Amino acid sequence: MSEDAVVIERTFDAPIEMVWQAWTDGEHFAKWYGPQGFTIPVANMDAQVGGSRHICMASPDGSMKMWFTGEYRTVDATSLLVYTEAMSDEDGNVLSPADMGMPDDHPMITEVTVQLTADGDGKTRMVMTHAGIPADSPGASGWAMAFDKLTAHLAAA
Amino acid sequence: MNHNDTTTDDDERLDQIFAALANRTRRAILDRLAAGPATVKELAEPFAMSLPAVSKHIRVLEGAGLIEQGRDAQYRPCSLQVGPLREIDRWTERYRPIWEDRFSRLDDYLGRLTADDGAPDGHQPKRRTQRSDDE
Repeated sequence: MSEDAVVIERTFDAPIEMVWQAWTDGEHFAKWYGPQGFTIPVANMDAQVGGSRHICMASPDGSMKMWFTGEYRTVDATSLLVYTEAMSDEDGNVLSPADMGMPDDHPMITEVTVQLTADGDGKTRMVMTHAGIPADSPGASGWAMAFDKLTAHLAAA
Repeated sequence: MNHNDTTTDDDERLDQIFAALANRTRRAILDRLAAGPATVKELAEPFAMSLPAVSKHIRVLEGAGLIEQGRDAQYRPCSLQVGPLREIDRWTERYRPIWEDRFSRLDDYLGRLTADDGAPDGHQPKRRTQRSDDE
């Protein structure tokens, strides 16, 4: 069993302020975030604790649009950024479980954590963690712990 | 996002697995089964709920493929199935190439910014390594 989150480390040849800006300023974020060929026509990012984010991705021919919403949990410039992300509609309403064909009352929300450290020589080291958490479940972190415990059991079995 | 690359079948399976796991009682049942097979009656013991209520949870877990209930023995013991948990692993792994791809573009973008030093057009040759204090 492996982890229930994606963790990626990367060092960029750019100063930490610039990398922070690339994550927190919609204008910069839109330049790199979308899949190849896609555009980001909307990137409203109120990067402060409790602030919301609303992102739109459009397919290369503009025929398909996907909306994402979320909230900033931690904004500690320029070292730590934590925000949630969920698929939403154009108005920022999180897609309900019914919309996603789920019988349960727990929409799927993910959490992105970005840690930055200045690495000397104008380089910046980044550790990005993307974890899945079913929102509003009795203690989302408890869910993750239960899952860890379960996988540990399975690994030992 | 490459959400549209995945098949609907896969997505439906994952929805079912996550929905099954998004319940405290069902996770506790899985936790108990990780220690070995058990009957419905044994599984119901730690909970203040009726056998039919526990059976309902078991059916949800069975529907998601997380457990299997034996057919031969009179007590029909339940046992844990690891397959679906591996599917969740794959679900998280699907995001890795998406992020790797993004960060390659972020790398390029940062490269252009540092090379341009604020110039509006990003098609000049990179000169990140020889960037000097020429302001």
